[in-house]
Amino acid sequence: MQLSASDFAFIAAFIKREAAIVLAPGKEYLVQSRLAPVAREGGMRGVNELVYQLRQDPGPELRQAVIDSLTTNETSWFRDGEPFSALSQTILPGLLASRSVAKHLRIWSAGCASGQEPYSLAILLRDFLPAGWTFEIIATDISAEMIRKAEAGLFTQVEVNRGLPAAMLVHHFERVGAHWSVSEELRRSVTFQRLNLAAPLPPLGLFDLVFLRNVLIYFDVETKAEVLHRVTGTLRPDGLLFLGSAETTIGIDEGFERVAVGRAAAYRMRTAVPAGAAGRV
Amino acid sequence: MRAIVIDDSRAMRLILRRIVGQLGFDVIEAEDGKAALDTLNSESEVPNLALVDWNMPNMNGLEFVTAVRADGRFKDMTLVMVTTESEQSQIVRALAAGAHEYVIKPFTQGAMLEKLALLGLVPSGATA
Amino acid sequence: MSTEIVPTAQDLADIVGQVWSSYLDTEGTDPLIPIEESPSTDIVASVSITGGWSGHVVVSCSDAAAKQAAAAFLMMDATEVSADDVTDVLGELANIVGGNVKSMLPASSMVSLPQVVNVSGGSVRWPACVQICELAGVWREEPVSIAMWQKTDLADGNG
Repeated sequence: MQLSASDFAFIAAFIKREAAIVLAPGKEYLVQSRLAPVAREGGMRGVNELVYQLRQDPGPELRQAVIDSLTTNETSWFRDGEPFSALSQTILPGLLASRSVAKHLRIWSAGCASGQEPYSLAILLRDFLPAGWTFEIIATDISAEMIRKAEAGLFTQVEVNRGLPAAMLVHHFERVGAHWSVSEELRRSVTFQRLNLAAPLPPLGLFDLVFLRNVLIYFDVETKAEVLHRVTGTLRPDGLLFLGSAETTIGIDEGFERVAVGRAAAYRMRTAVPAGAAGRV
Repeated sequence: MRAIVIDDSRAMRLILRRIVGQLGFDVIEAEDGKAALDTLNSESEVPNLALVDWNMPNMNGLEFVTAVRADGRFKDMTLVMVTTESEQSQIVRALAAGAHEYVIKPFTQGAMLEKLALLGLVPSGATA
Repeated sequence: MSTEIVPTAQDLADIVGQVWSSYLDTEGTDPLIPIEESPSTDIVASVSITGGWSGHVVVSCSDAAAKQAAAAFLMMDATEVSADDVTDVLGELANIVGGNVKSMLPASSMVSLPQVVNVSGGSVRWPACVQICELAGVWREEPVSIAMWQKTDLADGNG
């Protein structure tokens, strides 16, 4: 079943508006092949019905699923580097002191996509925390497909090439055919859950660190404010929030202040007592 | 900054040259491990980085890495294997022989830059 | 039943997908679109694997596809591509696919240097081999095929 010219033009305009990606005519096959699984997952009869829904009122979930399917979604391990070095050099040493009684850390990776971020965090914590400490990572994403993939923990060779140090690859993964599978130990340290940040949150408990990176970019200003407000409710008073390098709370939620941690930036609530050696900008 | 690209495929040497050249490296090439050792021995300036294929005639990449690690003159040279050899045991062998990082072919330009960034060889922000 | 490890069509498809996303379709907008029949091709690049599994990994395509592949791989304009560039890139593509196939086989297996021949619509014979799988497709509207041929003594052994 081929995409009609008007449906293709609609999708091309949609993805240009939403993700600044230009789809030249002739990419009908690409659009068809990328959208077919989205339609299937949404219980629709085909891509034509999906485009019909998109033309009506798709809602944020379908909108994002379509955007994700049409954008090359290459996530790196230890993405952007700096938040992870800040974690091992400054934040975790601080938490070792401030959580010395509980000896337990809770981290939320919100918008975890195919799982590179929560697994990177798990690798880092396993290597860093002294004996007797435990941790819990909750990883959520709006896409059921992504949660399935992340939970399976199976990555292609191209995916494990992206920013994952070779020593960690051979230590924490095992080769299976053309893929690499995360170790059972690593898989057990992350709990995956499908979750829509644009709706009220289920009870998640309180977190020491929340990673909400490159997620806000998908939302309009009001939704951004709502999402940040919800996240506030899950942070411990001295907890830290990490956003993508091009994102900020400034002008959206004045309850947060920006703090420099090494060469990275994080956000904490204004009334907070510093958790680690983080200093004001 | 100087890099040596060691691969028996001219096409692979060309793209590796282009990628590290963009980072400001002055790039020299060799077709196999033996030719690379000859080049290193004849030049006064030791490269900061070597990108090394595994399967090459005359001297393979693992032998090259082992030889370079045994020679104090090259102790500051960062060694990155770039190869289709992707069995877990092969990666372990290369790291044990002294390779600092390992890039499996096929790789994207972004993947290569990220690996070099892990080694502190990329100016901050260049991988974004 | 033989215990011989044989690379599957799915393994080949996984490897080829990774080669495409790394070099020939980096933006995700130029996929290899599968077709049913084996296409007629002009350039044939191959590597031979010997050891635990014996056979050939063969990448073939039209002249135009080869030129475009060389340009994409070397990150240059198609007008700058020389005949040597085409030969070297096709050989390297066969080497990367073959090397990855080898990495799934018993450790004793070896990969040969790539061979590239011009057949201009003809074909190459692989004596005493059977084709065990082929990924045929159209890339940028030009025919491409990636196939694995297995030495028949092993193929027979596998029944």
